[in-house]
Amino acid sequence: MLELTGLRRTFGDLVALDDVSFAVTEGHIVGFVGPNGAGKTTAMRIALGVLTPDAGHVRWRGVPVGAQIRRSFGYMPEERGLYPKMRVLEQLTYLARLHGVAPTDARRRAQETIEVLGVAARAKDRVEALSLGNQQRVQLASALVHEPDLLVLDEPFSGLDPVGVDVLSGVLRRQATNHGVPVVFSSHQLDLVERICDSVVLIDDGRIVADGTIGELRARRERRLFLVDVLGEADGWHATIPGVELVDTTDDGLVFELGEDVDEQRLLDLARTSGDVVRFGPVHPSLAELFREVVGHE
Amino acid sequence: MSDQHSPVPRPTDRGAWRLVAARDFRVRLRDKGFVISTGITLVVLSLFILARAFTDDTRPSFDLGLTGNDAAAIEQRADQVRAAAERRGVEVNSRGFDDERVAEAALRDGGLDAVLTKDGVLLGLTSVPPVLTQVVADAAVRGRLTAALEAGGATMGEIEALLGQPSIEVRTLEPQDPNRDENARIAFIAVLLAYGQLFGYGVWVATGVIEEKASRVVEILLSAIRPRQLLAGKIAGIGLLGIVQLVAVAAFAIGLASVTGALELPATAVGITFVVLAWFVMGFAFYAGLFAVSGSLVSRMEELQNVLVPVNLVIIVSFLMSLEALQDPDAPVPVIASLLPFSSALAMPVRIAMGSATAPQIALSIALLIAGTAALIPLSARLYAGAVLKTGTRVKLRVAWRSASAVGLEG
Repeated sequence: MLELTGLRRTFGDLVALDDVSFAVTEGHIVGFVGPNGAGKTTAMRIALGVLTPDAGHVRWRGVPVGAQIRRSFGYMPEERGLYPKMRVLEQLTYLARLHGVAPTDARRRAQETIEVLGVAARAKDRVEALSLGNQQRVQLASALVHEPDLLVLDEPFSGLDPVGVDVLSGVLRRQATNHGVPVVFSSHQLDLVERICDSVVLIDDGRIVADGTIGELRARRERRLFLVDVLGEADGWHATIPGVELVDTTDDGLVFELGEDVDEQRLLDLARTSGDVVRFGPVHPSLAELFREVVGHE
Repeated sequence: MSDQHSPVPRPTDRGAWRLVAARDFRVRLRDKGFVISTGITLVVLSLFILARAFTDDTRPSFDLGLTGNDAAAIEQRADQVRAAAERRGVEVNSRGFDDERVAEAALRDGGLDAVLTKDGVLLGLTSVPPVLTQVVADAAVRGRLTAALEAGGATMGEIEALLGQPSIEVRTLEPQDPNRDENARIAFIAVLLAYGQLFGYGVWVATGVIEEKASRVVEILLSAIRPRQLLAGKIAGIGLLGIVQLVAVAAFAIGLASVTGALELPATAVGITFVVLAWFVMGFAFYAGLFAVSGSLVSRMEELQNVLVPVNLVIIVSFLMSLEALQDPDAPVPVIASLLPFSSALAMPVRIAMGSATAPQIALSIALLIAGTAALIPLSARLYAGAVLKTGTRVKLRVAWRSASAVGLEG
């Protein structure tokens, strides 16, 4: 388990992280989401030891993370970086060696990794000769090549085509499920996070504002929304129930927010008297909607 | 994929710097810049050596016309001139002329350097080379003395004993190394090479650091290894290449010079090469950290020149002081320069080659250089660690110093 505890970091007057704590457990994929500038990259850089916190600790399996432990981590930084003139296979072999992989295994691992990520055909090419998407795949390979015990990936999906997204999703899922590797990655593609992550950590303005499974986040939310679709209803049929407010009109019907003491059955009864009800049910907000609510940015 | 995670054994990271060194060595060995610079160095050295081989070795030689009708007399005078020339270490080729006007014509068209007429006049075109005048005068005086002594009844043996070279023993209170000029020449080439090597490979360290910073690969590297392992590996790899190149160039130059005869003392040259090499290794260790720090302060290659100015100035001043040592190795400036750590790598080899450095001075120079390097390494490592992950604008030294407190310096 990777634990970040009480991390604080300032850059001049700017507080980038303020008492940030969360954990990533074995076999789990954690989505790290938040608006631009919220502190995601700062937290990830601190976890990898390329930035020092002003306060707080990073622990791996209960032990403070030092250079020796960090060597077993796989990292994809926000600022992508590889030797542009070095050839793909040679570069990955070298990086595997830096992470402590034995010489005989390093080349085999490099070859396997580029095969999994679909760039094996470019093994002998210089990195700079590759398309951006393929460079991204090599970058991912550099985080995976040494069979890391932990994966920390900053925006790993940005710049990937749909096939690349599927490949990477599959790789992360296998790493977590088959190898028990804890995975944490940041992303702005919230539908993707919702689809593949076991839990989500939401950061805003340097503070953790939500942390849990998506179900937990939904349950925690205070708004009760119901979708009602009534055929042939008269406008304003719902206006007679106090504590019911129309918040959205969609193609699928009307979305109401119900006050705490309002029984949804009353709304249904009223709807039925107004016309034929073809849809009625609670609205499960998408992660994106939860995100907007919690962060407060519309 | 297997369901069981097979953890890769993680050996200690102590050898990580060697991996870095091996990569930097290999990458630069294949670099076009390296191949070209090695080629240029070899070509320039070859030209220098070949030029010396074909100019310096020949003794001064003159063509002298002798006029007169008596072939036997001309032959005798030619012998006397040849003997006198031999004593002065020059060569005079004499040719006899029946007709004085033919000899004069030869003088005019450059076929002769001077004409000695049968009346004893030494005729030149615009002037007569002084050495040739002395040779001819010497021959004339000896001719007259021999004739007079013969007339007085002296035997040839007695005349030879009388006119032979006096055996004068020459001694000096402070003898100069007879090979000093040759050594100075070798030292000049050596210091030129050392300067180029120190400077060129130092800049390579700086560009290597910027490359990693500009391509952002440094963040990947430093998530795997510590900053000082990366720094040490880079300096070791590039320094090793510098040593290999220096040895190869020196071996080539000494070999070529020995074969062509441009070098009278190959053994001395080999000795001086070792001295230069030893001080290059120490000097590079001293300077490389500074070059690396300079490089780590900026994120773009375009900013390299500005940030290198301080280090450059120090090396250039050291180079100028070591050139001073070629003129007068015992003057105060070269002596001080050969002792101070920032200049001794260039100045001390010159003074050693010129035979002017004393053993205590050499020992002090080495001690100071090693002490200076030992003091600089942790300083450089800390500044490098603090600056190398800060991309964007140029990093101030103070900022680098403070932010390095923990990055990579732990454990």
